Amino acid sequence: MNMYGIVSSVKRDYIADLARQGKRVDTRMLDQFREVSVESGPIKSAQGSARVKIGKTQVLAGVKLEHAEPFSDRPDNGVLIVNAELLPLASPTFEPGRPDENAIELARVVDRGIRESEAIDLEKLVIKSGEDVWAVFIDIYALDHDGNLIDASALAAIAALLNVKLPEDEAWTLPEFPLQKKPVAVTVAKINGKLMVDPRLDEESVMDARITMTTIEDGSICAMQKGGIGYFSREELEQAYELARAKAAELRAKLG
Amino acid sequence: MEKPEKLIVDGKRLDGRAPDELRPLKIEVGILERANGSAYVELGANKVLAAVYGPREMHPRHHQQPDTAVLRCRYNMAPFSVEERKRPGPDRRSVEISKVTREALEQVVFLKLYPRSVIDVFIEVLQADAGTRTAGITAAAVALADAGVPMRDIVSSIAVGKVDGTIVLDLTNDEDQWGTTDMPIAMVPRKKLITLLQMDGHFTGEEFKQALDLAFKGCEQIYDAQRQALREKYAIKRGNKK
Amino acid sequence: MIHVQNRELVVPGQLIAEGDYQVYEGAFREGKQVYASVVGLADVRGQNIRIIPLQGRYIPKRGDVVIGVVVDSHHSGWILDINSPYIGNLFVSDLLRRKVDLVREDISQYLGMDDVVVAGIKEVNERMRVQLEAGEPGMGRVEGGKLVEISPMKVPRVIGRKGSMLNTLQNVGECRINVGQNGRIMVWGKNPRMTNAVIEALFMIEREAHTSGLTDRVHLMLEKIKSGGK
Repeated sequence: MNMYGIVSSVKRDYIADLARQGKRVDTRMLDQFREVSVESGPIKSAQGSARVKIGKTQVLAGVKLEHAEPFSDRPDNGVLIVNAELLPLASPTFEPGRPDENAIELARVVDRGIRESEAIDLEKLVIKSGEDVWAVFIDIYALDHDGNLIDASALAAIAALLNVKLPEDEAWTLPEFPLQKKPVAVTVAKINGKLMVDPRLDEESVMDARITMTTIEDGSICAMQKGGIGYFSREELEQAYELARAKAAELRAKLG
Repeated sequence: MEKPEKLIVDGKRLDGRAPDELRPLKIEVGILERANGSAYVELGANKVLAAVYGPREMHPRHHQQPDTAVLRCRYNMAPFSVEERKRPGPDRRSVEISKVTREALEQVVFLKLYPRSVIDVFIEVLQADAGTRTAGITAAAVALADAGVPMRDIVSSIAVGKVDGTIVLDLTNDEDQWGTTDMPIAMVPRKKLITLLQMDGHFTGEEFKQALDLAFKGCEQIYDAQRQALREKYAIKRGNKK
Repeated sequence: MIHVQNRELVVPGQLIAEGDYQVYEGAFREGKQVYASVVGLADVRGQNIRIIPLQGRYIPKRGDVVIGVVVDSHHSGWILDINSPYIGNLFVSDLLRRKVDLVREDISQYLGMDDVVVAGIKEVNERMRVQLEAGEPGMGRVEGGKLVEISPMKVPRVIGRKGSMLNTLQNVGECRINVGQNGRIMVWGKNPRMTNAVIEALFMIEREAHTSGLTDRVHLMLEKIKSGGK
């Protein structure tokens, strides 16, 4: 039920008390990410792939390009499909089987960031109007869950899209993959009234709520998602936006 | 329909509303016999039913929480609620909406009063015209009150967005489809605390702030209507009736 | 400072008062402010504030008398549905008020499935595990009579001020009534027509619980049926 696992009440109080003082368990600043690394193209069987590590959290994203029929209401658009799997090997709380609400939410938040920013020019992915288009499948594989899977996944997805090798198919006529923007998700957690970026797993397990804001290069927002049962005030949202915008620029720089 | 050239003409939207105007809103309380609480919301062409069962015994037992009740929410769309028949049963969208709906409501409910039990909230969209998740939350909050479930406040919910570069309240399906941005929001109105926030499309930082302002305004109207509907249902009737 | 009239209808989140008040069911405090948590009638007495709820399920309280239905049994007792989120446990020793040798005695002779039982709430622990007792006079298995179920929140209206409504029902309706706090009511009468009239009256009380002059109307209705049939 709870993807963040159980943290002992002693640790819970400790984290909450630190937050009140503006401190964190791993001595980070509230606006500081853990170490972020982006490895491009680790998987040769995919058209594009990337492995992102944020601290000990590890996510792999793979892109496949395939022929598909367009959706009937969008005959002149390629298809984008994002799927996320919370693999049982990534956490003792993840179970095999159909994606649960956490996996579905994760996939849909990443999807919205890419779709709504029009990061991929889907109109260029039409082979024959109404009949044959390119489908871009982004599969997100959570390998190790130490918190902040959303930001890691969104970053891995964009990194994998940047890594796409053009398909060897006569139907492919574009000189390059039509990626036109780099949306980056930044999740801000709220603990004991304090906002902080990049929550670790133990921080996620005690947070009241989180807000993910996905921004593009010019700082404008293309997607948002609040999670958790807590709430945000208006001031907190505005503060979260400033954090998200600043941190997205840092993460985007890792994409090279 | 084809994309219209303009969605806002002379400051009016396609259905004649001003940018900051809600669609006609109707809330009815206690319309289902068997449920412990229920509500029906019409917002424009949206027709949404919410029912609350519980607190009741939690099945399966191993999902019981020893020190609190569990709130479960299910958002579902009727197959006939949309233009093209929707396949029955939960899809990814409805699973996600069910999750954020629960998270939008849970904060205000005094769950600790009912250890080991469950409170089930069922939301059924009978007819959809954009904004069904927010109409569902609005209905669910009233249904919870109708069930006698103790709460800190009545959660109110509405969507705001951007259409033709203008920030607007309560988008229709056409506006959602052809407009730029949709931002559903839910809040605890008394304290102006936001318990649901999603957004897709495009907002600058400034537009985001404007949209929040409009959302607060919209939720206030929804909140008034919710309380009014509850008062009407339970108003003391003096003297002989029937 | 009080922000509502006594007996005023309030809704969740509504400000009731500000200051040092004692807060009881249906209300909660945030700092100096007292708010309603349920739809109900504000009941302000001196420094005490509570909201009389108009809806909701029965939550067991120690000392309440309830009417349960046996839904399961085990070697030392029974499980009763008490029209609540929580079931009631009745041990055979709390029914018979004596030690029972479970090896020698077959307890199924005392209570069976679907039996209706008048019971007291002996204990409710913090996990809402409910222990019943049914050994006192007037408690235990119900013989004959009719079982009626109404909203538990309407029970105070069935009893009435100082038992006035209940007296009317019993005296004019010529029957004996046992009211469970959980909204279940047993009615015993010799005259089937009057018994049915009383049951009708109980549903009328439930329907019209928040109207005034109800006792008089119930009285009138029962008298009418009584004289009409003689």
